[in-house]
Amino acid sequence: MITLLKNGKLYDPAHSKNGVVEDIYIRDGRITSKPSQTEKINQTYDLTGKIVMAGAIDMHSHIGGGKVNIARMMLPEFQETKNYSEPEAHICTPNCSHMATPNTSDTGFRYIEMGYTAAFEPAILPINARQAHLEMADTPMIDKGGYAMLGNDDYFLRLLSQKADQKVINNYVAWTLHATQAIGIKVVNPGGISAFKFNQRRLNLDENNVHYQVTPREILKSLSRAVHDLGIAKPLHVHCNNLGAAGNFQTTLDTMGASDGVPMHLTHIQFHSYGTEGDKKFSSAAAQISEALNNNQHITADVGQILFGQTVTASGDSMMQHLNTKHANPKKSVIMDIECDAGCGVVPFKYRDQNYVNALQWAIGLEIFLSVEDPWRIFLTTDHPNGAPFTSYPHLIRLLMDKSFRNEVFAKLNLDAQAMSNLTSLNREYSLYEIAIMTRAGAAKLIGLNDRGHLGAGAAADITIYTDQPDREAMFAKPDYVFKDGELVVKDGKVVKVVWGKTHTTKPAFDIGVEQDLKKYFDKYHTIQLDNFKISDDEFADDGRGKIVTH
Amino acid sequence: MKSANINTFPITATCPACGLLCDDIALENINHQLKVTKPNCAKTVAFFERAIGENTSLIAGKPATLQEAILKVAEILKQAHKPIFTGLGTDVQGYRALYSLSQKTSARLTHMNATSMARNLKVLQSTGWQTTTLTEVKNRADVIVCFGSDLLSHNARFFERFVDADGMFVSAKNRQVVVLGEASNQAIKSDALQAAWVLPCRATDLPSITIALRALVAGKQLKATKIAGVKVGDLQTFADKLKAAKYAVLTWVAKDLDFDHAELTIQNITETVAILNKTTRAAGLPLGGSDGDTSANNANTWLSGFALNDDALNDEHAEHDAMLWVNSFSPEKASPQTDMPLIIIGNSNIQHQAEVFIPIAIPGLDCSGTLFRVDSSVVLPLKKVRENNLPTLAEVLCQLEERLK
Repeated sequence: MITLLKNGKLYDPAHSKNGVVEDIYIRDGRITSKPSQTEKINQTYDLTGKIVMAGAIDMHSHIGGGKVNIARMMLPEFQETKNYSEPEAHICTPNCSHMATPNTSDTGFRYIEMGYTAAFEPAILPINARQAHLEMADTPMIDKGGYAMLGNDDYFLRLLSQKADQKVINNYVAWTLHATQAIGIKVVNPGGISAFKFNQRRLNLDENNVHYQVTPREILKSLSRAVHDLGIAKPLHVHCNNLGAAGNFQTTLDTMGASDGVPMHLTHIQFHSYGTEGDKKFSSAAAQISEALNNNQHITADVGQILFGQTVTASGDSMMQHLNTKHANPKKSVIMDIECDAGCGVVPFKYRDQNYVNALQWAIGLEIFLSVEDPWRIFLTTDHPNGAPFTSYPHLIRLLMDKSFRNEVFAKLNLDAQAMSNLTSLNREYSLYEIAIMTRAGAAKLIGLNDRGHLGAGAAADITIYTDQPDREAMFAKPDYVFKDGELVVKDGKVVKVVWGKTHTTKPAFDIGVEQDLKKYFDKYHTIQLDNFKISDDEFADDGRGKIVTH
Repeated sequence: MKSANINTFPITATCPACGLLCDDIALENINHQLKVTKPNCAKTVAFFERAIGENTSLIAGKPATLQEAILKVAEILKQAHKPIFTGLGTDVQGYRALYSLSQKTSARLTHMNATSMARNLKVLQSTGWQTTTLTEVKNRADVIVCFGSDLLSHNARFFERFVDADGMFVSAKNRQVVVLGEASNQAIKSDALQAAWVLPCRATDLPSITIALRALVAGKQLKATKIAGVKVGDLQTFADKLKAAKYAVLTWVAKDLDFDHAELTIQNITETVAILNKTTRAAGLPLGGSDGDTSANNANTWLSGFALNDDALNDEHAEHDAMLWVNSFSPEKASPQTDMPLIIIGNSNIQHQAEVFIPIAIPGLDCSGTLFRVDSSVVLPLKKVRENNLPTLAEVLCQLEERLK
């Protein structure tokens, strides 16, 4: 079975193709080179004038696991109902939601309808990994994967405070990746979630966790080194200390230097780019952060753009989210300490364009997007759902690609915030090629998905086809076609076939001897057996639709 | 499959008989009969040592093949306009299958614990809360409070496993337990409980006692000298103890708070926690849990976007015309009395007068499975630990869906 996508205009940055008109052939779910003349082409799509990109990859989106489910549970008022027609009705329900925390089937549908073919849950608590994978297994249409959180778990902090050999740490990190079926490692407020359990309320980069007498800097150094030594493609995913606090940009700048040049990814950096200037003691530090990103080649970042409206913030950062509960809207929240492993904080937020801080947060995100020069090192996220639901990506893309639209929106914001932002002086407009880097080629490269995010022979045939429209929001909201592993799954922005996608993992080699000490630790301090902590491959296959891919 | 090799005993198994999901259960096989060698927990022993009962399907009390029974269920559900699925005692995999079937039959889903689950959910959806999990309790909690009398009859090993054991940051002897309630289950020995400070009161006194405690923790003065028989001086001492604690854990079992507007009492507890967290650390911990209620709630939430929050059995206006009762774990819990056509799919030991009865494999005993612990964050795999030829709930419902097409 060979499918021909004929005459499309390709934006494929992995192969430096910037609007080249070419044919693509699909065989057995993969892109293939041109078949011989004797082979039969079963199906041809004439894509003359259409834009062709690889399926988009969301490298940071909270789509599965405890805190998202808590948000759903806590906020019934956010859900809305809608009636579905086939084939969506095949798995969608009358209760399918379209808000900040959609249910699992809706999550998959909304992603694929925008041409996204993969999304990665960035904050899997190892103890809660089974739940995250259960939810992702019930998320149709897209590929999934996740980053396991370390750095606040008591086992790691004990090792670090005992000055354990880096090799021991590396083995523990590798063991965690295997046990949790993750593809990367994340650290959230390094040392801070643990410190909050000992009643510390803030933790700076060089401040000690009171119990363990180790600093966030030491944690970052150790974990980034482990990830690097183990040969894991995805750099350590770092949610810096001092999330959301005025003046936190200095922490962020200092964090860039904490790994001694070893690669790190700073996530939702917008929330970490705040100064203290002006009457309200809250200002944009986007210029300093962008300059540092431009100068530090070992650092990548995603933005975590905020957009106006109701959403909910769901974070592992119990320490900072506890401080944020005073801003909760509606006024409720959940803060948890979890299993000597980590924590979580779920706080609903309503970002308002006439609120000084919110308006400036919006501008800061865009300032960073427009000031970071290398699109291979900056990624398009809203930290779904924390800055905005992922369904707002087409709107965000338009803000990046259309300066007059951006300036029109800016002109309607809180006037004091306008006065504190240089956004209108930034003339840059992202090109389709740059968007394809940020949302496809760059994301695949960052995570280490060698056969995704590009259109070369051998790639999985995850392909999105758009009509070139001047209104980029309309264009990116509704692709003409989406192919998932070679199958046509979306036509004219609507799902035509339900598929289930795969789970991407990485499993570096390590010394299983690490389990001897872990077993003792579990028996003494944990409340489950070590064996039950580990998620077996079989648990994915049991229902017949899950599948693991190991990179 | 995550099933043990059932030829090699002893097996270490996970017990679904209460919300704690103890996964250190030692099982032996003596003359084809499972025997719990550790621990000595009545619920665990009853769960694992009960032999398989009726292992063929029944239609109107007469033996039928599984296919015939499924066909009959399909017939009933096809005729029904608004069926109710209740009981819902199953694991995650079973719940997924039930949810799917409910969508295709316009059925209402309501768990057998719906009334008590709603008490906690109302608080979660009103103010939210600050909570913790069992490993944190074991390693950090220096003050543990039980609001209500009877934690041990729900979670028999709570003290043994998490309070009488030394933790990473606190030793067992340095913990203080406070009980607001009547003297607890005397059959279970616990050092911490033995040394507990008991402030005797009835469950129905808890609304006034918890509001007084909340006020005292907030630093307010009370004019009264006694609240529901408890001296305000004692409550003040208690409040001071909480404020001085490094990590106080306040527990309750929603099922035992069986009075009108119990959610307001739970909210007094969780808001007391919120006040404590301004200066020190404290956390709430809802306990209890049974019959897969935490699993059903979580799975329903991610599948539908909504918590499992339907108390249909207490809905006077509900007009249902067929009932499906699913009960895998607790054969002693009977289905509601009903005039509707009644279908029971569940434990082979259920006594019943159902129109159709289909015995199924019990997760954690006859088949593998997955359950959420009562603290929600921990999800554990269940093992198959005995030979049987029973179908799983998901298998039955999958075939049933085919018949409904």
